[in-house]
Amino acid sequence: MTVVSSGPKYPGGGFLAAQPATLWFLGGLGLFTLGVTVLAEGFGLGTLSTSMVKILGMTLCLCLIAVAMDVVWGYCGILSLGHFAFFGIGGYAVGMWLMYARTEGIVTEALLAAPIPPTETEITNAIATQIFGVVGSSELPVLWGFAHSLPLQLLMVVLVPGLLALVFGWLAFRSRVTGVYLSILTQAMTLALSLYLFQNDSGLRGNNGLSGLQNIPGLDHLPQSTLSLWFFWASALALGLGYLFFAWLVSGKFGSVIRAIRDNEARVRFLGYEVEHYKLVVFTLTAIVAGIAGALYYPQAGIVNPAEIAPIASIYLAVWVAIGGRGRLYGAVIGAAAVSLASSWFTGGGAPAIDLGFYRINWTDWWLVLLGFGFVAVTLFLPRGIGGLFDLLVRKS
Amino acid sequence: MKKNLLAGLATSTALFAAPALAQDCPIKVGVLHSLSGTMAISETTLKDTVLMLVDQQNAKGGLLGCQIEAKVVDPASDWPLFAEKARELLTVSNVDVIFGSWTSVSRKSALPVLEELNGLMFYPVQYEGEESSKNVFYTGAAPNQQAIPAVDYFLEELGVESFALLGTDYVYPRTTNNILDSYLKSKGIAAEDIFVNYTPFGHSDWATIVGDVVALGAGGKKVGVISTINGDANIGFYKELAAAGVSADDIPVVAFSVGEEELSGLDTTELVGHLAAWNYFMSADTPENAAFIEAWHAFIGDTARVTNDPMEAHYIGFNMWVNAVTEAGTTDVDAVRAAMWGQEFPNLTGGMSVMNANHHLSKPVLIGEIRADGQFDIISQTEEVPGDAWTDFLPESAVLKSDWKELNCGMFNTETGTCIQVTSNY
Amino acid sequence: MRPDPLRACLHALAILLVLLLPDSGHAQTPLQPLLQEHRAAITNPSRGTATAMVAALLASGHPEAAEFLRRWQDRGVVERRADGMFLYSDDAGGLREIDGGMAVPGLTGRDVAPIRPNAGVRAVVAAALVPLELTAPDPERRRAALDAIARSPEAGQIAPLTVSLDGEADADLRDRKARLLTLLTAQFGPDRASRLTAIESLAGDTAIEARAVLNQIAARVPGVAAALPEGANIARVLEVDEDLTEIEAHDRLVAARLAPPRPTAKDLRDALSAHVEGGSVGGIPLHRLNTDDMRLRAYEALEAAGRVPPRSGPPEVSQAVAAHVFFETYPEPDADITAAAEAALSATTRQIALYQGADLILDGLSLASIFFLAAIGLAITFGVMGVINMAHGEFIMMGAYTGYVVQLFVPDYTVSLVIALPLAFAVTFGAGVAMERLVIRQLYTRPLETLLATFGISIALQQLAKNIFGTQARPLTAPDWLGGALTFNDIVGISTIRVAIFVLALIFLALLLYILKRTRLGLEVRAVTQNPGMAASMGINPDRINMLTFGLGSGIAGIAGVAIGLYAQVTSEMGANYIVQSFMTVVVGGVGNVWGTLAGASMIGFLQKGIEWFNPSNTLAAQTYMILFIILFIQFRPKGIVALKGRAAGD
Repeated sequence: MTVVSSGPKYPGGGFLAAQPATLWFLGGLGLFTLGVTVLAEGFGLGTLSTSMVKILGMTLCLCLIAVAMDVVWGYCGILSLGHFAFFGIGGYAVGMWLMYARTEGIVTEALLAAPIPPTETEITNAIATQIFGVVGSSELPVLWGFAHSLPLQLLMVVLVPGLLALVFGWLAFRSRVTGVYLSILTQAMTLALSLYLFQNDSGLRGNNGLSGLQNIPGLDHLPQSTLSLWFFWASALALGLGYLFFAWLVSGKFGSVIRAIRDNEARVRFLGYEVEHYKLVVFTLTAIVAGIAGALYYPQAGIVNPAEIAPIASIYLAVWVAIGGRGRLYGAVIGAAAVSLASSWFTGGGAPAIDLGFYRINWTDWWLVLLGFGFVAVTLFLPRGIGGLFDLLVRKS
Repeated sequence: MKKNLLAGLATSTALFAAPALAQDCPIKVGVLHSLSGTMAISETTLKDTVLMLVDQQNAKGGLLGCQIEAKVVDPASDWPLFAEKARELLTVSNVDVIFGSWTSVSRKSALPVLEELNGLMFYPVQYEGEESSKNVFYTGAAPNQQAIPAVDYFLEELGVESFALLGTDYVYPRTTNNILDSYLKSKGIAAEDIFVNYTPFGHSDWATIVGDVVALGAGGKKVGVISTINGDANIGFYKELAAAGVSADDIPVVAFSVGEEELSGLDTTELVGHLAAWNYFMSADTPENAAFIEAWHAFIGDTARVTNDPMEAHYIGFNMWVNAVTEAGTTDVDAVRAAMWGQEFPNLTGGMSVMNANHHLSKPVLIGEIRADGQFDIISQTEEVPGDAWTDFLPESAVLKSDWKELNCGMFNTETGTCIQVTSNY
Repeated sequence: MRPDPLRACLHALAILLVLLLPDSGHAQTPLQPLLQEHRAAITNPSRGTATAMVAALLASGHPEAAEFLRRWQDRGVVERRADGMFLYSDDAGGLREIDGGMAVPGLTGRDVAPIRPNAGVRAVVAAALVPLELTAPDPERRRAALDAIARSPEAGQIAPLTVSLDGEADADLRDRKARLLTLLTAQFGPDRASRLTAIESLAGDTAIEARAVLNQIAARVPGVAAALPEGANIARVLEVDEDLTEIEAHDRLVAARLAPPRPTAKDLRDALSAHVEGGSVGGIPLHRLNTDDMRLRAYEALEAAGRVPPRSGPPEVSQAVAAHVFFETYPEPDADITAAAEAALSATTRQIALYQGADLILDGLSLASIFFLAAIGLAITFGVMGVINMAHGEFIMMGAYTGYVVQLFVPDYTVSLVIALPLAFAVTFGAGVAMERLVIRQLYTRPLETLLATFGISIALQQLAKNIFGTQARPLTAPDWLGGALTFNDIVGISTIRVAIFVLALIFLALLLYILKRTRLGLEVRAVTQNPGMAASMGINPDRINMLTFGLGSGIAGIAGVAIGLYAQVTSEMGANYIVQSFMTVVVGGVGNVWGTLAGASMIGFLQKGIEWFNPSNTLAAQTYMILFIILFIQFRPKGIVALKGRAAGD
């Protein structure tokens, strides 16, 4: 593709200087990371529990996918209801290695106790029985061909979402499927993928998915308090780099073209641009970033399974971005962080119940109602989202 | 983290010296049941059951001289949240025990956290077996406490020779059907007389499948259906069955996931005579059960509410835990675990449950016929059957056993005489 | 159900006794002592013990015995805990003595133990009572006896059935008796000629009971031996490599204990482990035994030293298989009868295939009409107005819950349905109008945001339903006249409720076409859709039209909800199950056209059933492939099956 090389060019690293918002964001992220590190149980004061560090680390991954979603929807106008599928695929790809390597350790240890050393086949069969015994199978599916190798599975994290997005995007954009039709089509893709994964015979353990991912093979000696912090740092780094990359991507000519596509696709096409190519690049790049975010998220969550990929997850992603404010990357971050943390607070019993006298509002029951109507309100009265409020403040000052 | 652990160790050693004094009050009980999302249907009831049991115990004067405090969290039917909330309960709320989970995947999600932090969880639902964790007590039925006796009933009492195994496509039905397939073949049922079908969660289009089952009758053998269909999907299935005029006398259906709660979602007049296998039915005629139902109705404030099998499992599990804590004089997990082995408590259906060293209960198996009022007529009740963590009917599992008391291993290969792993395979 | 000579004899004996012994001699003898003799079998009913007890009671010739068994199987007998006496109990809980019928007052439920014979026991009793019941005055009892014969056919039933056939007054029952006689004769007939006649008369009969009998006669048993057994009724000889693989053949040999099992990798490892000497096996050091090759070499070394038995490899397996013959035999010894049964069965093959095809089409039609019903409201709001309503599924749910609430207040199912349908329309019409006025109207220029706002409404409504109605599924029951099934024969049939849904779908199709094409409202809707500005300047109020159209689409969703709730479950999540499929139905069919939705629903419904037919054991896989197909289909026909042409197509 030649389109990417037409990215922005700044003399002498002036890109960041021209992007105060990005600078602010990166600074904030750095401070936040530092703060969490100092407060975390595994490193310093211990005010922040390991489970809180995990929640924060996972939230950063969600922010990263939200940024990707903002680029594809807020900047390019493609309301993809399938990016959470790419996120899940990333999780599955890294999860396969985590499960395989952990099981391999257990199995080899058990087999070494026997008088005769095990053969390759015996080890593979024993691993398969351990992993797939739960779904009533004892053979390693073809899908797991690379699971023994971390580099290969990490490659899969990038490759599988990338290729899937490329093929799907190529088919869809080539047929000029646009607007809501495209949304429904991406939703159908997500549904097909989740239905496939729900099948017990999918080779990825069906409804159970891959679990025990928080135990990192080779790092068994480290407590979760330390591991959680490592993953938190990795997530923060990924978010920082991802943000920087997308900020750079949308700031130059490429960004102008995709924004133009969002605003009037036909006109851009008449101007001689290969609209399909631009869309395909954006769709694929964001899918890859979604995959990376997923690969960092699920080892912190501990389990990846088909329910994660269900169409509703991708709709929630769009909701975060819309609440945060489309077309501004920090908006996506605000939206994802605010909604997912609020959701955690409300459903975790953190919010105090309101006693109306005749009825008691328990937030575990009413949180979704609040979110739903709150979301309608944001769409109606705050079309630019929370990020839009920010803009107003900046402009006034 | 380390500090906490050391502190815990210090308190627990101190406890052995003077139990009543050193116990931290109040004793905290974590409740890890979904209150929202798809599983809230089943799990909310269990949350209320635990709250009721806690209330009852506090009314009796609490435990070790302390009041018991329930700490309820909502994992929202979101499996990763079970791990997150379990960690929160164990490290932030510092609970002494957790009662929770319904689906296998939610249990498998919480398992690594429980094992890492040496927590203690009571799991109250019938499941597919093939697991025994040091940190979990399984108070629901293993396949040999539900599926195998039900199939025996089909073979011996009803003379069924051709089987349709219908299930929702997830782990419990798959594993159960694998076990049943191998069990039926060992009983001389030919492979072509076993029809298997899997449908998605919440499936509603049952016409073709019911037609396929009826068509099995052309083989000239008595047909029976073994249903591991989950939750709401049962409603459509039974409605289609009734519409097709399939009576229990022609094609009996025995279900492992249909209890009093599920039947409240449909009109049962057409389903009279179909069967379910559980360890408990609300219709059990014992004074304990009558008292339990009365207490439940008083607690929930609605006399129309039913009781069911997982509720009894929590009832047994909670009381066993209370007794084990009293015996151990502490809530320390290792001490309580040791006191749990061999712990006995009367069932609501009569007889005694015993907690075995493989962390599964010995419980009687009941088979009930559906009545027009949505309750079950108990037509068969076995002696207490010890729950089997690893089934004898699958070649890979037949050689495995679990014994935490003698062998300190949940996955012990009896052939090679080695412990495969002390943690679980999640 | 295999013929059971012992049971047959007992029956014959029982009938004889009952028929021969004079009743009067027993009138005074009480039944209770006899019952107490069999108390174990009576209080703990089981199929194993019931047969003997039932036969013994009937053989006693006591006139009350049959009545007792009838009541016992209907759970009308209880045991008094105090003394173990059996009593009759009626539905109201009143207790009477068995002998004499004296009422026994003053006992509570705690004083007596219920006795609950299971379905297997009830079948035994019913079969044993057949000879008596066949001539019972009440036609319902005679019919029940015939059902008992159909469920457990036995040779002993031929005689009483033949006898009772002549005296049968009811034409229906006489036909049924004759039919059962043919079926019984085919299976258990006394002589060869009558059996052959009966079997031939069943040729081409597609009824399940007829095929069940024929399949029983023509049942085959696999066999293996060194040579074909003499005098056996051989069905066919199996050729290795053609009918079964060598491994399968060898497995059969192993199962018949005619050959030792093939050694597995585990056997090899175990044998080697048993001969570890000084860190090596057969001269090969242990650490090198981590490949199959090296293990075999070690074994050969041990074998050469005579320390282990020779290992049976592939050559031995081939030899063993070649030395035996594999075949199938009929348990039925008479070759003519089995040949006749096979011929009678093969005459039905084609017809059955045809019927199965017809049944599949019916199922497809039904599924298509459900999809159509779920999607048609969407076809209006999305298809005609271009509004994405993610809360459409929740309107379906609201309709279903309306039906449930109506049934709470109106116990008569027919009346409640008559009230529920218009009420569901009204409720969801109102909800739709409110949503249009409050939310969608603000967002006409921002279609993607309509999608998100309506999604917000959708999750809020779903949770509201959970908070109001609870998470448990709620019953919505169809009236009796919608309860059964429309059966053409044993293979082709469809439940009445599905027929009703199909009819409802047709009515809506006609109604919508009429409204859109023939009424003033339809004209205005089409005008507003094509050019709101122009329509407004012609005196049409676009706001009002949009509101009405949206209300109409939502109202139809409500009625669809009642229909869907009647055949499936009513839960807060039921709408979510239909929403994605409904959108796909509309998009595949072609937006903006009711016919398109029909085409889309038909395609998806039939496709789903077709894929299921190829892989009947996994419905989930069928759904996956169907969606993949839809994705591909949209790539090649982005505008759907019925694409609008010209200016109406928009962009």
